[in-house]
Amino acid sequence: MAAPPGPGLVHVEPKQRLTAPPSSASTAATLVLIGLAAASVWAFIDLRINVATFVDGVHNAVAFAARVFPLDFPSFGEILLLCGQTLAIVVLATLLSTCLSVPLAVLAAGNTTPGDTSRLGSRAVIVIARAVPDLVLAIVFVRIFGIGALTGVLAMGLHSIGMIGKMYADAIEQIDNAAATALKAAGASRLQQIAGGVLPPVLPAFVAVGLHRLDINLRVTVVLGFVGVQGIGFAIAESLKVLDYQRGIALAVVVLGLCIVVELISGAIRTALLGRSSGPRGGITGAITGAAGALGRRAGLGARDAERSDEHLGVDPDLTRDPRLRSAAALADGRVGPPWDGARIGGACYALVTAAVVLASFSGAGISVTEAFGSLPRVFDSVGLFLPPETGGLFGELLVQLLITIKIALAATLIGVVLSLPIGALAARNVAPSPAVANTFRLVILIIRGIPELILAIIFVVITGLGEVAGAVALGIGGVGLLGKLVADSLEEIDPGPERALAATGAGRGQVLFAATLPAGMKALVAHVLYLLDTNIRAATLLGIVGAGGIGFYLLNASRVLEFGVVTTIILMVFATVMLFELLAIWLRSRF
Amino acid sequence: MTTVDEVLGSGAGPPLPHAPVVEFSRVTKRFGPDVLGLDDISLTVRTGEVVVLLGLSGSGKSTLLRHVDGLQLPTSGSVRVLGTEVTTAGGGELRTLRRRIGFVFQQFDLVGCRTVLENVCTGALGRIRGPRLGLPTYPKALRREGLERLDRVGLADRAFQRSDTLSGGQQQRVAVARALMQRPEVLLADEPVASLDPESSAQVMDLLKTISREDSLTVLCSLHQVDLALGWGDRIVGLRTGRMVLDLPAAGLDRDQVMAVYSRVGADASALLGAAG
Ligand SMILES: Nc1ncnc2c1ncn2[C@@H]1O[C@H](COP(=O)(O)OP(=O)(O)O)[C@@H](O)[C@H]1O
Ligand SMILES: [Mg+2]
Repeated sequence: MAAPPGPGLVHVEPKQRLTAPPSSASTAATLVLIGLAAASVWAFIDLRINVATFVDGVHNAVAFAARVFPLDFPSFGEILLLCGQTLAIVVLATLLSTCLSVPLAVLAAGNTTPGDTSRLGSRAVIVIARAVPDLVLAIVFVRIFGIGALTGVLAMGLHSIGMIGKMYADAIEQIDNAAATALKAAGASRLQQIAGGVLPPVLPAFVAVGLHRLDINLRVTVVLGFVGVQGIGFAIAESLKVLDYQRGIALAVVVLGLCIVVELISGAIRTALLGRSSGPRGGITGAITGAAGALGRRAGLGARDAERSDEHLGVDPDLTRDPRLRSAAALADGRVGPPWDGARIGGACYALVTAAVVLASFSGAGISVTEAFGSLPRVFDSVGLFLPPETGGLFGELLVQLLITIKIALAATLIGVVLSLPIGALAARNVAPSPAVANTFRLVILIIRGIPELILAIIFVVITGLGEVAGAVALGIGGVGLLGKLVADSLEEIDPGPERALAATGAGRGQVLFAATLPAGMKALVAHVLYLLDTNIRAATLLGIVGAGGIGFYLLNASRVLEFGVVTTIILMVFATVMLFELLAIWLRSRF
Repeated sequence: MTTVDEVLGSGAGPPLPHAPVVEFSRVTKRFGPDVLGLDDISLTVRTGEVVVLLGLSGSGKSTLLRHVDGLQLPTSGSVRVLGTEVTTAGGGELRTLRRRIGFVFQQFDLVGCRTVLENVCTGALGRIRGPRLGLPTYPKALRREGLERLDRVGLADRAFQRSDTLSGGQQQRVAVARALMQRPEVLLADEPVASLDPESSAQVMDLLKTISREDSLTVLCSLHQVDLALGWGDRIVGLRTGRMVLDLPAAGLDRDQVMAVYSRVGADASALLGAAG
């Protein structure tokens, strides 16, 4: 039977086994997982998230709606300008991050690293980059580079290394080393082996990961606008500051549209890239099928098996001529560059568009390199401001707020999981009762993904009032955009074998779901939920800036009143918390 | 015990007039405490010789070949190739040595998503500086040379196809062209036809034979099919669990003598060598 298309570079297909052999390691991991689940339920209850809050909130919402409508959109030109500025910053930040991530990933991947020191060193850099939220970096960089694009580019660019670098390293570790070894055997240097044998197969995945991060960073800019990064987020922050909700929410709608458009474009490019060459094997089969299909059609061979037709039938469109002669003719022709066929023209167009976008981003963001270097001396002064860490007599209070942040993240993850499982299942084509239902729920997920968490937080702050409930609910619903999609994708990737077998015995759709589909996806699900928790922990620190509870509020305040020692303390606390959960997640993932 | 050299010297064949190219002396390779990859191998291959390595899978053929160009280093013993002591060579020295040795692998090991010509050009990386990614990054003269190598294996008309769109036999011929791009003096081939159908196998083996004769290459080629080995090389070396159990000129050797390499029980090394002599 034909296996489903091979998993992409970033997805790991769950291994199926009949019974899990009990071991102390997995028992411990299960206990920790149960502990996390219990803590989430406790957090949910303790935060008093309940229907009553929302019923109370209804009239708030109605009052709010009255102040929001009619929406007050700025002029079309202004919208274009804001969107352009935002996109420019996001593109440059993501580009910076990919450029820094490639060498880091090469050093971090087990099969390309020169030694254990560089491997551990670059892994550490990646983990640290992940653990320092971009908002925190932005607060620091605003001090150094001032309000402007550069601050945003650096903040997102450096933080994104945490995700991009890790995914690049994983992608490199998954490739077959044989080609690089062949180059080594031919006397190629280490760098030549990497460029010639390692990068080519991972490039599509590299681009796809970069585009994925571009989507994420676009949402992040909204948050960064609140600390002075230019673009549409800045405009939203300015409007909300003067309580101009008609303008603020109108801009939020623009962001939503922008996010969805960018997501659709990048999604299409990613599918095209990864579809053409996902795993090494899948890619080859796909390419062979595609090429042979085209060849077969041209030669009138119909849909005959690709390799077979090539090998035994002589294949070549013109069967009357000797292959040796055709080779000699090609040599005599002396062409040493590929012909301008459709694929090459397409590739060149992509390259041109990319170059144009990057150039436009440079001019659009208005970053001047000299200015950037000019501000470097200020780095030392500014860093001095942040040292030593101080508590301002608030340490107890800060700890309480940190705990609230963690509670928000746990409760949000619980909400996210509870909502995502049914929504994700209904969005999976092999589970949904009909394709129409699947498409509808895919759309719901896409829209939720399109709404930046911060906008959700603002809406819920209005509905439920200032505080942690707004934060938890906003993050919880936002989580559906992430987890719902992952759940749907993993369900669709599951080997259809066991399901078909069950369905053939007359089992109902629900029975199939519980007996075959879910068990196979359990491992993937655990990994995805841990990923969501990880994201939520970081996001929860940010929401405080719009009054959605937790330590973020104190972070923003301390930087507003120039208490930089306190900022450092909070950053360290956030960093320690994120690292703790990160390490816990790594440990748990290795146990399942 | 008697070394292979002594056996050969004591009348197994005429002494070879050429200089030694590959010299293994008492080479042992351990993978962990109880896995012996190579077990006390002493072997001399001289200029222009075509040697076939025979043995079951797991007998150490790949390991031996990978020791020739330093992809693996021995646990003990010495490996001299083209005048370079591989075991003590520095990085630069090894690169220079590898440049002179072409290597063809069982799985072709091409970069599937790149064009055929670019794959061939990577064979020249040893003599150019700096990393390359993409055909246009190679100098025109090199690309032209690559096209000539491709024509030698009969595939110049496929130069701009992705290499993974070729059949297995064609891919292996591209791998041969890549090795030729090094202008090698020694050619190593590790079961070059093990993943090919009989027809492509014959084609590739013929190609290797022609090329090694025309370029007077020294060849070490591992195979596991006795029938292919007989009549292909000048000399047959048999391996079993890392030990050399056969080393005889191919001329006049019959199938049964060679098959003894494969018998799991029975015939120990010295008995077999004696019987053949
Ligand atoms: N990198 C390695 N690590 C551990 N054992 C190895 C390694 N390479 C080869 N071996 C072992 O060495 C023996 C010889 O392997 P190999 O040279 O690949 O045999 P052949 O090529 O004749 O099939 C086998 O037992 C194999 O398992
Ligand atoms: Mg082998």
